[in-house]
Amino acid sequence: MEFVEFKSMKSTNSMNSTNAMNPKKAIYNMNETLKYSYYPGCSLHASAGEYDLSTRELFKQLSIGLTEVPDWFCCGATPAHNVDELLSLSLCAKNLEMAEQVEGDLAVACAACFSRLKTTQHVLAESDVKRKQVEKAIDAPLKLDGKVKHLLEILARDLGLERLAASVKKPLSGLKVACYYGCLLTRPPDVTNLDCVEAPTIMEDVLKAVGAETVAWSHRMECCGANFTLSRPGVVIQLTNAILESAKEAGADCVMVACPLCHGNLDIRQKEIEGVYSVNYGLPVFYITQLVGLACGLTADKLGLGALIVNPMPLLKEKQLL
Amino acid sequence: MKKKKMIISQSTMDVDFVRKVEALSGTSVRRCFQCGKCSAGCPMATFMEHPPNRVVRLLQLGQWQRILAGRSIWYCASCETCSTRCPNKVHLASIMDALRKLSWDAEGPSKESYVQLANKLFLQNIRTYGRQYEMRLAAVFNVKSGQFLKDLMLGPKLISKGKLKMFHSKNKNLPEIEKIFTRIEEMRKKGEAL
Repeated sequence: MEFVEFKSMKSTNSMNSTNAMNPKKAIYNMNETLKYSYYPGCSLHASAGEYDLSTRELFKQLSIGLTEVPDWFCCGATPAHNVDELLSLSLCAKNLEMAEQVEGDLAVACAACFSRLKTTQHVLAESDVKRKQVEKAIDAPLKLDGKVKHLLEILARDLGLERLAASVKKPLSGLKVACYYGCLLTRPPDVTNLDCVEAPTIMEDVLKAVGAETVAWSHRMECCGANFTLSRPGVVIQLTNAILESAKEAGADCVMVACPLCHGNLDIRQKEIEGVYSVNYGLPVFYITQLVGLACGLTADKLGLGALIVNPMPLLKEKQLL
Repeated sequence: MKKKKMIISQSTMDVDFVRKVEALSGTSVRRCFQCGKCSAGCPMATFMEHPPNRVVRLLQLGQWQRILAGRSIWYCASCETCSTRCPNKVHLASIMDALRKLSWDAEGPSKESYVQLANKLFLQNIRTYGRQYEMRLAAVFNVKSGQFLKDLMLGPKLISKGKLKMFHSKNKNLPEIEKIFTRIEEMRKKGEAL
């Protein structure tokens, strides 16, 4: 449909020099504005504050509406479904019900929240028994039709790569990024429906649209150890070391993630890992919204780059991106 | 670990327990033909005494006590690789959830106490605050597990970067959250839910 519009506009507006030079721009302005309800998740209000900040600033910059669901609460994350599935489903179902009262599809930033909310929709749509139990637990009718979308989907599909590319002010040229998907964005595929489960490209697509280079590497879908960071940090150190090693070997300058827990393990624990294995990675770990925001012309303050533990400033200065 | 000889007979196979696992997880352990794909892709298999495919095999043989006595189920990271790759659609990640729940409810004999402690504190935090209070989670974990110095060097750095908040406000929906917890407890008492 856009294509037809594009053609007709080109023929009728050929007199208009700006449209003739940059015909795409005119169409993008005519597009409907995007609006979402927003579920940040606990981490984004605490240890991943910079992910929240950069998400809000980026969406403002791209003119995408974002309204936080009032008084949302924890989705239960891994510990809840680990020992009490009914509790996990009920917490998520209640959050989904609250999100319905805000206009727009639900935008989720955290990969774990995204996975839990989508799993809840999936499980409750399939099992009558569980649905009845959850309805009783939250004492409200279930609302499962609302769409739950990860920020990646919004950038790559709803906004679209072309429109994203058109918003770029400072392409990230020369920056070699290792895109780290982690576990829960793509698995299990029938629940998350985000991209191909063994060879996804959605992160690479987004980064290429903003001018960055991406590297091919082996550990982009391997587990970082997630919440074992609290109970068994030794596990995280071993698994995360393999990820950082692989990214470094592939020649990446930095790693990009879309999950606060992956970020915590790769960034906060990096120094410790370097000590344990006597290596030097020095790989800054960015959130997707930080890198895209940087390309869209946002400043380091607005993206919370100062909150990263592995200092990204030398790299960004070297690549002349600041 | 001294290996006990496994005797398979009707008296040593507890099929009722396995049925419970199947009901909770919504998947059948009998579909598994032991190809081992789950264990091949499991990032945590090296930390487990029973890798994922053996967990399923032990369930098929009704030998669940062996699973619950070990650490395997608590070392599963729920990365869902096994469920994704299984050619027979055995949802192993859900089986792990079910096993953990049954072990948790029975306050089972597992040796793995740290992961259970972390889970417990996490859920308590939801009930008391509505959202995670990471500072409290880490501090109480260290005290209760007796590892007072664990990650102590990380603390000041995280606080200076604004990543760890000293104080936490309670969620306005707290009464609603408490109701969800109590309703589930009541349903379990009445036997309406597992």
